[in-house]
Amino acid sequence: MAAWHSPLGPSPHAACSSKSNILPISAVMDLLIRKRAAGYVCRSCTRQVQREIRLRRSYSSSARPDIYDVVCVGGGPAGLSLLTALRANPVTSHLRIALVEAQDLSKIKSWKLPPDRFSNRCSSLTPASVRYLDQIGAWHHLDQTRVQDYHEMQVWDGVTDARIEFDTLSSSPTSGPDTTIAYMTENLNLTSGLLKRLEELGGVSTYDNAKVEQITLGAEHPESNLDLREWPVIHLSGGKQLHARLLVGADGANSPVRSFAGIQARGWDYNRHGVVATLALEEQDFPTHQSFSPSGKIAYQRFLPTGPVALLPLPGNFATLVWSTTPENAALLKSLPPKEFIAMVNAAFRLSPVDLSYLHSPASSGTPKEEEYSWRMEHTHINPLSVPQTIIGVQENSIASFPLKFRHADTYIAERVALVGDAAHTIHPLAGQGLNQGQGDIQSLARTISYAVEHGMDIGTTMALESYLSERYAANHVVMGVCDKLHKLYSFESGPLVGLRSLGLRAVNGWEGVKSFLMRQASGGGSML
Amino acid sequence: MRSSLQRRAPTLLRTISRRSQYEAAIISNAPRPAAAATRPAAVAPQKRWHSSVNADEISHFNALASTWWDPHGSSRALHLMNPLRHDFINTCRSTSLSSSTTVTPEPNSQPTAGQQQQHQAPKLRYLDVGCGGGIFAESAARLPSTHSVTAIDAAPVIIQVARQHASKDPLLAEPTKLRYINTTIENLASTLQSSPEGSKFDVVTLFEVIEHVDQPANFLSHLSNHVKPGGWLVLSTIARTWTSWFTTNFMAEDVLGIVPKGTHDWNKYINDDELRGYFSKFADEQGWDLSSLMVQGVVYVPGLGWKEVQGSEKVGNYFLGVQKKA
Repeated sequence: MAAWHSPLGPSPHAACSSKSNILPISAVMDLLIRKRAAGYVCRSCTRQVQREIRLRRSYSSSARPDIYDVVCVGGGPAGLSLLTALRANPVTSHLRIALVEAQDLSKIKSWKLPPDRFSNRCSSLTPASVRYLDQIGAWHHLDQTRVQDYHEMQVWDGVTDARIEFDTLSSSPTSGPDTTIAYMTENLNLTSGLLKRLEELGGVSTYDNAKVEQITLGAEHPESNLDLREWPVIHLSGGKQLHARLLVGADGANSPVRSFAGIQARGWDYNRHGVVATLALEEQDFPTHQSFSPSGKIAYQRFLPTGPVALLPLPGNFATLVWSTTPENAALLKSLPPKEFIAMVNAAFRLSPVDLSYLHSPASSGTPKEEEYSWRMEHTHINPLSVPQTIIGVQENSIASFPLKFRHADTYIAERVALVGDAAHTIHPLAGQGLNQGQGDIQSLARTISYAVEHGMDIGTTMALESYLSERYAANHVVMGVCDKLHKLYSFESGPLVGLRSLGLRAVNGWEGVKSFLMRQASGGGSML
Repeated sequence: MRSSLQRRAPTLLRTISRRSQYEAAIISNAPRPAAAATRPAAVAPQKRWHSSVNADEISHFNALASTWWDPHGSSRALHLMNPLRHDFINTCRSTSLSSSTTVTPEPNSQPTAGQQQQHQAPKLRYLDVGCGGGIFAESAARLPSTHSVTAIDAAPVIIQVARQHASKDPLLAEPTKLRYINTTIENLASTLQSSPEGSKFDVVTLFEVIEHVDQPANFLSHLSNHVKPGGWLVLSTIARTWTSWFTTNFMAEDVLGIVPKGTHDWNKYINDDELRGYFSKFADEQGWDLSSLMVQGVVYVPGLGWKEVQGSEKVGNYFLGVQKKA
């Protein structure tokens, strides 16, 4: 069936065009017919649709379709890594590849910030992810002065103060010289580096600043004995149409590709927001930690009843904050002047949950937060080595928040469709695994495609994609389940679970075998699970 | 008759006693006893369908046509086996190529300058005999190292399914890449007479076919005419053992239903030593290089797919490859 090309741009018939972006033609027609019946659609609109259908029909029987082996929708870390992997591998480098992205990629490629300013969207890359990025030749294209490795994690329970300390040297004394737990960097540093590597490799038809108007199925082309009725056709703003042997949905949590494939993503909202910010710390490093932490950098995470708060090191005396909390608290934090915001973050790593809860309540709105904080700190005893350095500054305009969700697609593959990264799964950020899961997907999908090409398979068929699904679905499910359960476990303020979980943390901390297993999982990322 | 489990056991016993007759038939290039009345095809070119083609088999596979390309349908086991066929062909060919063209690529090495990968070796011409819906033929045609694939099957409906399915892939739509011909091996030489491709091929494949033909020796001698000097004949089939009866007939067809009922006639299965016997008997006449002959057993594990298992050629499914002297 031919596709209906939705009216472009601002249209007086917005009632029709606004809903038609990603629906298949049958659904659009259905919608229109129903709306027409109900009298919602004007006559000229219906006529235009009919004319477009006629046009499309004649088009598909005359012009030769523009056929790609892989069309990737989404130029984020997952999509760009996949295309880089395919281009870097001689087995798959002959594939015809297109990239579709809504943003201006040349701006991202030339992205640059002064050394004392950082983007507020950062990710923790596991050594496994970094090894893969290096293997496909992308890692050295990242600005290495904006990458921060860390070798120690401090994780503790905000209610009972039970602690688990992770450092690679003490937990795996036999491991090699590399004791890195993870590498922190800005997402833009990663995407910019991947774009530079892709430019070096060449051979990708890039459609950026492009909106996916709709995705339909192809048509029959009797004159060239072609039957593309099972092939996805991506309609871009501006009229360009791409036929895809394999359509990769790297298009995020609200993936239009996933909707086109009719794949459901199930899950729930945590009723929590992640508050992020770029922060400046009091001093650069702790000499006491240098014996087992070469960079002197430590990642801190405290589980509060409202959600975990984490401070992750960036180069210099900078750090990035990820604070999962209630939407109300998030709104309050975002509304505070810098001084008060800083006091609240320092408090989050130091004060008791009761104090914190008071600081967030309207009852405390009369006094500036920094006064409340310093007064309460006089009555709170903490070991300065067990909490992060005092925060002294917050970068202008770096405070933002986003809702936290748990979503898992029912499947990652359909005929001529594969989903990767957030399009396939959205995870609680507490373990910093989201981006690494995506990298694990890419590694598996690139390997699957390479095997299929070597064995003459049609890379778009579910037969060829099966091994990607079986490799990744269970692995992602385990990671997602663990992170979800951790979040739920720590949202209790009292009751038997609180005692059990601190007992658990203390036991884990004292039991080297279990701890090193957890460490390996954290740093091994996708390759282990 | 085949589907009747009650009658299978007595048939099986009878067959064992007839086995020596089969062996004699295979290596003497004479028709199987059951089809003794039919003369070798080369001297009876007027007949529409020739001796190697069994009418029951044709109608059985015609009936399967609609599900041939369903990844979860009756041919799933064949789909899963297909990559192993390429691996086996590569293994065979790599033994005869001193400077291997199948270089294992490093993922981080630079791609070649052009869009298309450059292969120094001349591209291969394949003949796939008994191509069915085209599972192997399509995959061979997609390989960058392939010049062309000629695929034949005696079942007309199956050839239609194959052509229809190939039209779903623009890569296969190039008329020189993949062509399907509804013919028999006996008639192939005359069909290809005027073909610019010639009638000899670098790789002649015969996958899961020989156990379905009536006169395997006669069939193989026709095939050998289409193998180039230095080219390979690669086939896969099932050994005729108690185990293969149990797994392919009883378990696969009757109990698990992995393979459609009536697909296999255990009486027609051929053991690897019988094929070895055939190739050594006709080594000089047909030009086989016996030192190249290679056998690889494979085992299907439900849920995991096909696995190579050394020695399993004596038990069930196996590949065999043999090269013609250059």
